[in-house]
This record gives sequence, structure tokens and C-alpha cells, in this order.
Amino acid sequence: MSAERNPLATAVNLSSSPAADAASAAPVAPVGARGGRWRRRLAYALLIGYALLMFVPFAWTIITSFKTLPDSTHLTVIPQPFTTDAWTYVFTNLKPTVPVLFANSLLIAGVVTVTNLALGSIAGYAFARLRFPGREALFLLVLATLMIPDQLRLPPVYVLFNSLGVTKGAAAFIPVILISAISASSIFLLRQYFLTIPREIEEAARIDGAGFFTTFLRVILPLATPALSAVTILTFQGTWNSFFWPVVFLSADPSHWTLPLGLTLFRLSGGFGSNWPPLMATVVIATVPILVLYLFFQRYFVEGIAASGVKG
Amino acid sequence: MTAPARPIRPAGRIGARKEALTGYLFILVPMILFLVLNVGMVLYALYMSVWKWSVLKGPISFIGLRNYENILSDEKFWQAVRNTLYYAAIWVPLTMAIGLFLAVIVNQKIRGQTFFRGAFYFPAIASSAAITTLWIFLVSPFGLFNEIRGALGINPLFELLGYGPNQDWMGDYHTALNSVIILNAWTTSGTFMLFYLASLQSISHDVYEAAAIDGAGAWQTFWQVTFPLLKPGHFFVATVGVIGALQLFDQAFIGGGPNGEPNGALSTIVLYLYNALFIQINFSYAAAIGIVLFVVIFSATLVQRQLFGRTPTW
Repeated sequence: MSAERNPLATAVNLSSSPAADAASAAPVAPVGARGGRWRRRLAYALLIGYALLMFVPFAWTIITSFKTLPDSTHLTVIPQPFTTDAWTYVFTNLKPTVPVLFANSLLIAGVVTVTNLALGSIAGYAFARLRFPGREALFLLVLATLMIPDQLRLPPVYVLFNSLGVTKGAAAFIPVILISAISASSIFLLRQYFLTIPREIEEAARIDGAGFFTTFLRVILPLATPALSAVTILTFQGTWNSFFWPVVFLSADPSHWTLPLGLTLFRLSGGFGSNWPPLMATVVIATVPILVLYLFFQRYFVEGIAASGVKG
Repeated sequence: MTAPARPIRPAGRIGARKEALTGYLFILVPMILFLVLNVGMVLYALYMSVWKWSVLKGPISFIGLRNYENILSDEKFWQAVRNTLYYAAIWVPLTMAIGLFLAVIVNQKIRGQTFFRGAFYFPAIASSAAITTLWIFLVSPFGLFNEIRGALGINPLFELLGYGPNQDWMGDYHTALNSVIILNAWTTSGTFMLFYLASLQSISHDVYEAAAIDGAGAWQTFWQVTFPLLKPGHFFVATVGVIGALQLFDQAFIGGGPNGEPNGALSTIVLYLYNALFIQINFSYAAAIGIVLFVVIFSATLVQRQLFGRTPTW
């Protein structure tokens, strides 16, 4: 997929080679060799210093998760004694256990990712290719929903689902999933990508007698892997990390908590307040899946941010 | 943004009708969800806000704008507004400055550019709950921050400012909000850096060559050439920043629960809306707060547009 045709390829591209980066980077004004050298040293010092600020807290989290509670307040890099008690505790004694929290997070993030892929691609295809009256107006309406803050929707959404009786028990997952089932940015991202696919390809399929849905499924979708991957990763990360709707609908019953809710409510609802080693073990578990995604698909994160703006 | 698709070969009337019907069918489910859960909910919030509302029975009696009048005289609401505005006023410029600074450094010809960009964006990928919990631990009375400053022997400096060796930064009324500001500056600076990088790379090389020919130094070039040319970037980052700041919720709730402990120090507008809904159980009052917040966010965007000019197209 060439860069010009790919709407996801933006000015920011982490995956390009350093040489290409240097060529595309705005050159600094030429200065004397000595001045340049000093400036470069200063730049490296600042970069490394700031990078340490990014990594040290996470390293400290992992170290602390292998400590005992008394040792967790000490400045010891190697746990004394080294213990996996905190890990055993969160996997077996905690109520609910971390595997339960993990499963709840995975359930919501998984379902929401699938619905965004399915609904987003089919609607994105219609907005990109099919002609119907009011198409542009409806598409603008979709984009306009991005301007509505979640907080404005909170009271009416809660009243609505409450009157439908789906805010209690396991049914409380329904509002959390429905509210994120399709996002305007998923439709937008996929539509923009479909627009770049040459029409001739699908016209050939149509001449062969394939219907709109068959053309979409057999011809268009396989060509849209980069956009589908971006939507998958961005939606999964956003939903896995989400706090607002889960805290509204799922905090009542601990067995429905997600990892972010567990982290927050274990600490706030006492008893677990400053039991740092198990809390840090839970932080590690909540972060590792996203970290793995980030390491493998870094450019989708970055391109998604550049394309759709920051998410709360 | 909405490039119109160019029409394909003219189809017969029946074909065109079938195509239109298929189009509506393909967008049906998302449109229903958007109409009910977005557009419908905005209207419903407006409706709710002018009624006295019972949890069980719904609307009881029409009260007009009384909820909005009550907001104006609600001391707790104004505390939330003050906290939110203070947060926005410090956090947005601070994070913009760090983001721009990082972008300019990373944009130079240096080794490991890719690594540094990836590293600086790293805290932004973790969940607010994970990163805030980690932060609360770091700045707790016996946390890493206090331990390190003790080990470095810089405690007299903090003593001078009135902070003891085991200051509880998130638990103290006077330092809780500032702690959240620093936390979010740390996690969001990488995101702002990415925005600024995109903006920096859209500046033509010719401009820098011209500046170099005129004998401008690096410092001068930055302030007189780069910084003004980044105006669309400033607008975009400032808008995204202010909108985000006005909606501050996660870190406040995770740090101080639904009452913004300690003592309302972490109460924000959105947190107070949540509080009105689930602690005070006043549904229509919460709806009115939501409307006010939306108006404030919308106005802030318009004001910024006036200050910075048009939205960038990228």
C-alpha cells in the first residue's frame, strides 16, 4: 500500500527508517561545529533524562509487585526479600480475583471491537461507495456526534437504561457495550480508506454479477486490512482502558468490575488502600496487554492519534 | 474531510433504487444507535433539566430554569468550576510547552529518534486507572518521590516551601490538584509532541534556508520563524487540550472518589455531575450541569478559533 493512497499514513510515522526520518525532518539552522556538538550533547541528555522519567515509574511498579508490604516503602531496587506473595494474592484471595477482572475487561473490549469492525466497515462502505439521497448529510451527522461530550449524555443515558431494567445484574454489561458499539471515528477511518480503493476493482466484481454485500465482503474487505487493523487496535485499547461508562454501570457489583474499576475501587473502598505490592501487580496486569499491542503495532497507535485526535 | 465519492457508470432506475436501499440498510444499525444514544440523549438531557425528576416516576413537575438558577448559587459547583479552570489554566500551557519542547528536540538529526518518540508516547497508552494508581503510589508519604528527594538531600528545599519529608501529595488538600496536573502533564506530553511533530514537519525547508541565509541563530530561528509558523498546530493542540481539561474526571475519581477527596480538592465539573447523579440522586440537576458543561466547552472552542484563526486542515 503506497503512502499516497493510504489515508492512515500521516506526517507522523514511527515505522520509517532513521535515514528517511532525518531527510524528512526540518533541518536546524547550520551552526559552528563546536556549537552543534554541544547542542547535540544537551539534546541527548534531555532526551535520555525524559525517557527515564517515562520508564522508571513502570520499572518501579514491577519491582514493587515482588516486594513485601514493609519493603514496598523502601528505596530498594532488588526486593528484600523477593516474594511472589502479591501475585498469588491477586490471583487467588482477592475478591473478585484478577482473572475475573481480566475476563470482564476482555469481554467488553472484545465485543466492542467486533461491533466497531462489523458496523463500521459496512457503514463506512455505504458512505464511501453507495449512492443514496441524504448520504452527505447523514455522514455529517455521524461526525457531529464526536462533538457531544459523554458527560452530557450521562444522566439521560442512565435514566434510559434504568427504565429498561438493564442496570442491575449481569445485564449492566449491555449499556456499557451498546454505548461504545459503534464510534464515529471507526466509520470515518474506514470510509476514508475505502475511498482510496480503485473503483475498477469492485466494478469488475459487479459485472460478474456479485451483489453489493458480496462485493463488500469478498472484494473490498480483504483490501482494507490496514484500516481494519487500525480500528481493531485503537478500539481495543480505548475500551480496555475505559473508565467512565464502566464506573457508571458496573461499580455496584464487584463480580462485574473491569481491571480499571478493580484498581480504583479496591483502593477507595478501604482495606486495600495502601497495600501497594498487590495493587502494583494489578497495574502490571492491566497494562501488559496494551504494552504488547503497542510494541507490535506502534504505528497504528500513532497514526490513529494523528488522524482522530486525542481520546479522553 | 468529506471528499465526495465520484459517481460510477449510470445505472438503471431499478438499479439505482436497489443501491439506495442497500445503502440505507448498511448504515441502519449505526444510525439508530447514533440517533438514540447521541442526538436523542442531548434532547433528552435538555428535557430532563427543566423538570423535577423522581428516580422511580421520572418527570413530576415542570420547574423551568430553576435547576440552572440553583447551579449559579451552588457553592460546591463553583468549587468544581474553580478547580477545573485552575487545572486547565496550568495543565494546558504546561503540557503544550513540554510537548513542543520534545517535538523540537526529537525533530533534530539525532540517533534513536524512533526510540525516543515511542518512549515519550508510552505513558499515554496505559489506562488512566493504572497510571493514576501508580502515580498515587509514587507520591504517597513513603513513595518513590519522597524517598528519592530524601536520598538526594534536597529536603531542606521542600521544608522551605512548607512540605515535610513524608508529604502526602495526593492526600493533602493543597497539593492534590497540582499532583494531578503533573501526572497528566507527564502522560499527555507525548501525545502533544506527536501533534507538534506533524505540525513541524509541514513547515517548508525553504523557510529555514532563508532564515539561515539571513544569519539567524537557532534560538532566533525558533522564536521568529518556527513558533509563529506553528500557529495552526498551537490552535489544534490548545483546543484538544482545553476540551480534555474541562472534562477531567478519571484521575480525579481514581484519586479522590465521587466526592473529590480530600475535601473537594479534586472535585471537577464532571465529577460533580457524577456526584449530583449518584450521590445526591438529583437526576435533572445533573442533566442541567451537563448542558452547562457542553455550552462552556463549545464556547471555549469558538473563543480559541477567534484567537488562533482557522482550524488546520490536517
